[in-house]
Amino acid sequence: MREIVRIEGLKMYFGGLKAIDNLDMSIYEHETLGIIGPNGAGKTTLFNVICGVYKPTDGKIILNGQEVQGSPPYEMARKGIARTFQISKPLYDLTILDNVVAASGIHEYTGIRSFFKKSHTKEVLEKVHDILELVGLSEIEHKKAREVSLGYLRRLEIARALATEPQLLMLDEPCAGLSNFAINEITELVLKLKEQGKTIVLIEHNLPITMKVCDRIIVLNYGQKIAEGTPEKVQNDKKVIEAYLGEEDED
Amino acid sequence: MLLQQILNGIMIGSVYALTAMGATLIYGILRILDIANAGAYVAGAYFGWYIYLKTENLVLAFVLSMIITGLIGVLIHRFIYAPILSKPRILPIVPLVASVGLFTLTGDLARLIAGPGTKAYNVDFGVDVINIGKLTIVPAWILIIVLTALLFTVLWLVLNKTKLGLAWRATAEDADIAKAVGINTNSAMALSYILGYGFAAAAGIMVGILYNSITPALGEVPSYKMLSIIVLGGLGSPVGTVIAGLFIGLVETMLSAYNLTFIPKDSVAFVALILVLLIKPSGLISKTNKI
Amino acid sequence: MGNYLITVAVNIAVFSLLALSLNIIIGYAGQSMMGHAAFFGIGAYTAAILTNKGVNFWLALLVALVISGTLGAIIGVISLRLRDDFLAITTIGINFVLVAMFQNMKLFGGSLGMAVKPLILFGKRATAIHFLIILLILILLVCMLIRKMNRSWFGLALASLRGDEGAAQSFGVNTSQYKILAFIIGTSIAGLTGGIYAHRMTFIFSSSFAFVVSISILSMVVVGGVGTIRGPLVGAILLGAAPELLRFADDYRMILYGGVIVLMMRFQPQGLLGENSFVMNKIEKYIIPLLKRKGGESNA
Repeated sequence: MREIVRIEGLKMYFGGLKAIDNLDMSIYEHETLGIIGPNGAGKTTLFNVICGVYKPTDGKIILNGQEVQGSPPYEMARKGIARTFQISKPLYDLTILDNVVAASGIHEYTGIRSFFKKSHTKEVLEKVHDILELVGLSEIEHKKAREVSLGYLRRLEIARALATEPQLLMLDEPCAGLSNFAINEITELVLKLKEQGKTIVLIEHNLPITMKVCDRIIVLNYGQKIAEGTPEKVQNDKKVIEAYLGEEDED
Repeated sequence: MLLQQILNGIMIGSVYALTAMGATLIYGILRILDIANAGAYVAGAYFGWYIYLKTENLVLAFVLSMIITGLIGVLIHRFIYAPILSKPRILPIVPLVASVGLFTLTGDLARLIAGPGTKAYNVDFGVDVINIGKLTIVPAWILIIVLTALLFTVLWLVLNKTKLGLAWRATAEDADIAKAVGINTNSAMALSYILGYGFAAAAGIMVGILYNSITPALGEVPSYKMLSIIVLGGLGSPVGTVIAGLFIGLVETMLSAYNLTFIPKDSVAFVALILVLLIKPSGLISKTNKI
Repeated sequence: MGNYLITVAVNIAVFSLLALSLNIIIGYAGQSMMGHAAFFGIGAYTAAILTNKGVNFWLALLVALVISGTLGAIIGVISLRLRDDFLAITTIGINFVLVAMFQNMKLFGGSLGMAVKPLILFGKRATAIHFLIILLILILLVCMLIRKMNRSWFGLALASLRGDEGAAQSFGVNTSQYKILAFIIGTSIAGLTGGIYAHRMTFIFSSSFAFVVSISILSMVVVGGVGTIRGPLVGAILLGAAPELLRFADDYRMILYGGVIVLMMRFQPQGLLGENSFVMNKIEKYIIPLLKRKGGESNA
């Protein structure tokens, strides 16, 4: 399998706090990679570093052979790393359709030149309709984002990420806070995307779902990788069990 | 003379700190910049002027004006800001524009009711100036410095020694958590307004006495100067506000005393603000590093 | 049209342009600009100083546009580092400081104001009607420009920026770049308007560009409807004509503005004709079906 992303010696320190400490990992084409770990393990920080929200303290992020660490988020997005937000960030004033159209313009935001290029062309609308169909938002495409429920907003997040035609799709806890019914729907959607051969990185607190959809899992604890492998292997790893037990003790 | 200028600076700085304190208390709880606080300063100055004109009792003028203005503040919060802030997902400019509207409204109400001209305070302290060695002290300065110190002491006691003050501090720390643990955040908000607007009123009267004049445009300069000061003082921090107010007062006085101003004196706070914001965009505080 | 009506119309046209341009910054890009009149003033003084020195009027307008746009870009750069409320204070402060400069510096005529060389068009001194025509053409152009913007990727970039910066960046919008562009476009239109205004008045005072003027412009935008084309136009007409219609109430103008702003923010923050406002909902409910029915009949 082709390696899309390689991370070498990644460090992200906040003052004295080592949120990510010397992490090495790879992401391969067409795989679904799960990243799990107890609270405060550094999962979301890792996401934010890969997506360019934080500049890493040290280390490399190599995307298709090119070093990209430290690029701003919009550059990372243009280079093919798409993300969803755990706390949905819809454009509330806009319709569902326009939210996805906006995301599909990823390579059109060229400054003043973008003034002279129409956004809602036939091709764009066709592409966006396909995505809305895929994620199951077609029926409410003309509703304003502020009028729809959390479950739909999560799907909107995924739709927007897909509209950027990414090489790598990063999902930040897409099921958090949803009802069982909505969780099943999102899981189905992720499986569908996986079937299409998308490369997916998933952070999810819901372990059964992670085990169900992921080909490979990386376990973080205190910013370090403590285990890596197939769901079965990781589930039986002593260090992983300890890390999670430790968390329960603290609770 | 340096000592003279320092004294002058402290006096001006006290007024600034007092004016800005209201905006700090309100920002601390509601996280909005209440430009209308400069309106309270104007309103307070006029109330005080009218009461003093009728009664010739300065203490009464201060106390009544502070109470009236403070209560108006509570009503403004209750009927304007609270409903605006309770709407989900409002644009951040909405409360701000509302406060700008309120500010415009107060200045012009003052003009309409009291007339566009200058009103004199004419407070008679018995002596014009007190000379101590080379130092010249105007009685109003003593009044201002003593009263400001007194008001800040009261504020400190309320915030640190009363149950209401505890509620205020908890709400300022995290309004959601405070609410969740059963703290009456509404009373904390009311406290912010009554103290905030009341202090602004006192500052308005002081300035009126100091320059022996008030005009409807009294609030223009404080409107942005006060906001510069609360940012410099670390948004929402009462102690920081006092320090920043004194600092700006001193710097302004020194610069104009030694003719170092290449910009209008009233822009000093503003230039300081821009510099600070450019060097440290979050203002002078950054309590937490988010992960 | 009588001279008086033309004078009122010119005034409304000037404020329409100012409101439309402020709306690009506030309504479309979502940035808290509170000192728009400062840029109106920069344009006015720039153009006036230039034509007084013998520069051609149109060239002077162009320079006024460029200079106010450049200073707008600087505000844009500052805005990158400031949260909304800080930006609001900064722009208010800039307005006060600039007016103080206009008032105190010899270059700007000092406290007595500044005479502006009258504009000669086709060999004759331009009158109010000429200015009205120039302004109306400009309004039309600006409306077309905004309409074009709304249908372009640029418009979507601004909508994303206004909606959520994090989200906008996640799909490739360089939010800093677009913020600065919005400031440049908005302030340069204000500067251009200022240049025309100065030559129309032939005498300018610092007070014409004071913070209260910024508030008037802001009121027009928020009363009419933030983020629409119709809003600022209707706002400028309503608030621009109101003092003329209510001549007896001229004294109450600022109270009216202040009060209207507060009430609008309290009850209809999207403006009278903004999306989802009371009036627009009624229009959508009663008038649009009516029009549609008529259209249907003619088709059948």
